[in-house]
Amino acid sequence: MFGHACVVAIEVQDLSKVFETGRRRHRRRVDAVDNLSFSVERGERVAYIGPNGAGKSTSIKILTGILHPTQGEASVLGVVPWLDRRRLAARIGTLFGQRSLLWFELTPRQSYRMLAAIYGLDRRREEARIGELGDLLEAGDLFDMPVRSLSLGQRMRCELAACMLHDPEVLFLDEPTIGLDLLAKQRFRELLVRLNTEQGTTIFLTSHDVADIEHVALRAMVINHGSLIYDNEVVAMRRALLSTKLVEVGLSRPAPAPALAGVTVLEHTETTMKLVVDTVTTSIRHVLDDLLDGLPVADISVVDPPLEQVIASIYGRSAV
Amino acid sequence: MTRRRWPGVTARTAALRVVAERGGMGVTLVFYVLVVVVLASLWRVAVGANGGNVAGYGAAAITWYVVTTEATVIALNNRLIADTGRDIGSGAVAVELLRPASVLGVRVFSELGRCLPRLVACAVVGGVLALVTAGAPPRPATLALAAPSLVLAVACNIVAQHAFAATAFWLRDAGSAWFLYQKLIFILGGMLIPLEALPGWLERTASLLPFRAMSYAPARLASGHLEPVLLVQQVGWLVVLVGLAGAAFRAGERRLQVVGG
Repeated sequence: MFGHACVVAIEVQDLSKVFETGRRRHRRRVDAVDNLSFSVERGERVAYIGPNGAGKSTSIKILTGILHPTQGEASVLGVVPWLDRRRLAARIGTLFGQRSLLWFELTPRQSYRMLAAIYGLDRRREEARIGELGDLLEAGDLFDMPVRSLSLGQRMRCELAACMLHDPEVLFLDEPTIGLDLLAKQRFRELLVRLNTEQGTTIFLTSHDVADIEHVALRAMVINHGSLIYDNEVVAMRRALLSTKLVEVGLSRPAPAPALAGVTVLEHTETTMKLVVDTVTTSIRHVLDDLLDGLPVADISVVDPPLEQVIASIYGRSAV
Repeated sequence: MTRRRWPGVTARTAALRVVAERGGMGVTLVFYVLVVVVLASLWRVAVGANGGNVAGYGAAAITWYVVTTEATVIALNNRLIADTGRDIGSGAVAVELLRPASVLGVRVFSELGRCLPRLVACAVVGGVLALVTAGAPPRPATLALAAPSLVLAVACNIVAQHAFAATAFWLRDAGSAWFLYQKLIFILGGMLIPLEALPGWLERTASLLPFRAMSYAPARLASGHLEPVLLVQQVGWLVVLVGLAGAAFRAGERRLQVVGG
């Protein structure tokens, strides 16, 4: 299974991690990761999502070599993380939203010098890489400002450069946009996509922010109670799990809400109407025909429900 | 690709932090001067009251002793054990495992880098203070041995503090270790009182422990005692302490990898 390392970036087979908490008589067994199996190809952009306590952080710690699993196999770039942590560390990048790689009293460039030395880059390579990342992340002008004077959004761009300094093949990101404002988040997501498309870096992203998943990832893996409960393309996930559609109607004059089987009125004003259509009970075409025939429709659109709803529905299924 | 330059670069980068925090350096120096002036004055009174000599130290010698012991302690981050213990206990140290270099090594060289500019500043200011208030040390040539001894002293201290802080891998808090450590340096390290002034049994106990390498050794040399063996002992203790701290961190990291942070 671990023989095609040139294509596969991450491979996990029947991985489990059991923690024992409490003392003696009150000892409790917690299955943080439970028979987890998946693989990620090089160059993929994967969102690894799940509710708090689902086992995301534990599995990422195992994949980066910080934790030993209780059983199972895993390899990242052909390396067993917990057996050869330092060798793997030279080939992966990690960015944990709340843990800074930079020293606040110094400029990012000064911190990069130390990180570059730790990762074994010589001075020429270090300078070249800092230049490349400055251009790629549009952050070159920030590298000579004290970190303490940067905004959070600017700092996160510099943090991203710090974890990309040694040109990692896989980037693990845990809540990288936490605390950023909307514009900074959007810019950060664009940078991640650019890193992936221009440098081929595999992105393994954990986030509770649905927009991170929607704008960065092409594939979503959902984990709950330590097990993988869903694994598909983000677009397919949205489609496959949709048993409802949202119909937004603009009205040319006030009209009563229609009473149709499988249709629930979500919102109703004099000029607009928002309806949820259960596509199991009725077809969207049938509903649209009825609405166009029976209402003074000025405008009509059909949209998928927000991704939050899709993810909540996956969590809900796994809890049952 | 070379990985050998990281210790020097780490120490230099950490030293830049201290240079950037000029206010912090200023506060350290003011505190150092206050402590040295008070302690040296007290000791000179004691020496005068004791016929010009306490445990073999005259007024000039005891002044040089005090400026040196205080430099070895004040130049260090006085919350090192607590800070390191907090990082270990909170699991923050786990992130440092994600680098292709030793966690202990990076931390020790970083702390050395932060300490050295403060040590140099304290040594220069202390030397001037001692010269002005008490005159040259009885044998000025011993200062040439005291200089490397000062660096070895803080190196021993930093490594030993990491060994103590490693208890946080098991206890989740190194606060109590810090309290104990500080008292050991004060008494058995000769920071407050020259070891020769301690009761015989306590002096003999101190001679068997590493704390004398962290404060007493450079102070003894700076106070005019030509005893190069102290440098050899410091190197010996440094090797032992690096071994102990290394073993403690390796065991702690293994525990972290099994039970989590």
